Amino acid sequence: MFPSWPTRFQTTPRVGSSKSGGESTDSGSAVNTLSSKADQAQLEPESPISKKASSSDHQAFDQKHLKLQQQQIHQEMATGPSHNQSSVKAPQEKRKGAGSTSEKQLDAKTLRRLAQNREAARKSRLRKKAYVQQLESSRIKLTQLEQDLQRARAQGLFLGGCVGAGSNLSPGAAIFDMEYARWLEDDHRLMSELRTGLHAHLSDGDLRLIIDGYVSHYDEIFQLKVVAAKSDVFHLYTGMWITPAERCFMWIGGFRPSELIKMLIGQLDPLTEQQVIGIYNLQHTSTQAEEALSQGLEQLQQALVDTIAGVPIVDGMQQMAVALSKLANLEGFVRQADNLRQQTLHQLRRILTVRQAARCFLVIGEYYGRLRALSSLWASRPRESMMSEDNSCQTTTELQIVQQHSQNHFSSY
Amino acid sequence: MHYQTEAWGSYMPTRSTTMGDPLERIERMASENAVVIFSMSTCCMCHAIKRLFCGMGVNPTVYELDEDPRGKDMEKALMRLLGSSSAVPVVFIGGKLVGAMDRVMASHINGTLVPLLKEAGALWL
Repeated sequence: MFPSWPTRFQTTPRVGSSKSGGESTDSGSAVNTLSSKADQAQLEPESPISKKASSSDHQAFDQKHLKLQQQQIHQEMATGPSHNQSSVKAPQEKRKGAGSTSEKQLDAKTLRRLAQNREAARKSRLRKKAYVQQLESSRIKLTQLEQDLQRARAQGLFLGGCVGAGSNLSPGAAIFDMEYARWLEDDHRLMSELRTGLHAHLSDGDLRLIIDGYVSHYDEIFQLKVVAAKSDVFHLYTGMWITPAERCFMWIGGFRPSELIKMLIGQLDPLTEQQVIGIYNLQHTSTQAEEALSQGLEQLQQALVDTIAGVPIVDGMQQMAVALSKLANLEGFVRQADNLRQQTLHQLRRILTVRQAARCFLVIGEYYGRLRALSSLWASRPRESMMSEDNSCQTTTELQIVQQHSQNHFSSY
Repeated sequence: MHYQTEAWGSYMPTRSTTMGDPLERIERMASENAVVIFSMSTCCMCHAIKRLFCGMGVNPTVYELDEDPRGKDMEKALMRLLGSSSAVPVVFIGGKLVGAMDRVMASHINGTLVPLLKEAGALWL
């Protein structure tokens, strides 16, 4: 469904081949293969702090792969000129003419290729650095977690191995949490594709495909929530499926649409007048819908209170039965709230152009990514003054990673 | 003729089920006002939908099915009409079926609800 990695690099050979013959195209593709491999190698490790680490084997392999690529790049830069630019070369052959900075046959194409190489190498180095820093912080966090665990065990607070980190999750909730974790990984991957697509100046048609895929990705989580609401509405409604920082802003089991729009206004510029009207209308209508649902929910709560409070009219069991049937309506409200969220995202997509929509969804994704990161940072913040030195350095490292991470993201704008 | 049926119905409650098809009755009631909501007094989602329209400045005509002697039949007819297990709330605008809460909210968000209301004469501006 989504264009694969090579799409990004197809633009370069097209530009290259317009100038001279097959030789430059081959060289071009050699560059592309190298940088695309370098990028691919480093794509996986680039992740928000709160994301769980993927298998270390895969990353170790990527590290080696990356080192190899970097060595190749450095070798190429170092090798002096041994033959003419115009001779035909195999795609994988090293470009011997790359280092000929002193020769007069330094045309624009060579300059561009050199620059691309440097850029690719620089990016690889940056990504490697970020990845290593992330590994370090994870290691520190892991040791601290082990310490906490031992302390808790010693105090007899450890209740035995549970998937839900010590709390009791219903099967429906556990399943949903797993699906949501997978959705978050997909989200991260799709956002990277979106970012790359914007950066690579894809045609509107290609970018539209990616965006439509991203909207479908959101439709997917809403569908998963429908199923989850049927089996365990409390899990959704109490926000146990999201991080604490996200939970602060939660409205009926998810984000508040009008709040999201408010966050987006100002970040979507430039907008046409009609678009501005559309966005403000969307904020207005979503606010009205939220008000209505909130008031309906209030009536539900009042009805529950009336049912449970006081002496049971007939008997306690009947009172409970009535209360249960009223409580069942909660599922309907979570469903309608999710429906509202979904409709709001679709309407945003309709109002914005393809490029605006791409930026918009990136902004949304990064916003929630940062909220999740905030939750992680908060959880590992220094708590006791005695341990402050060790912990503050850990927090500082994490902050650096968040900074660098967000810088990497912003660089695409 | 329609009003007569209704008058008969209120004088002879025991024979209410023979007094016309509930769906016909629904459609008739729906066409009598610009915005018609079929609801139940104890239903909270119905309360939400009423608040939505009132918040927009619309004055809907509400029929509480649990307070109507023929409410049960109408409830079943609405369930069949919507193809859903919950009959209420359901909204008609200008005599035409709009749907339950999800359709109403979707049409409000995508901007089609307000023109529909204006067309039916329920909103002015």
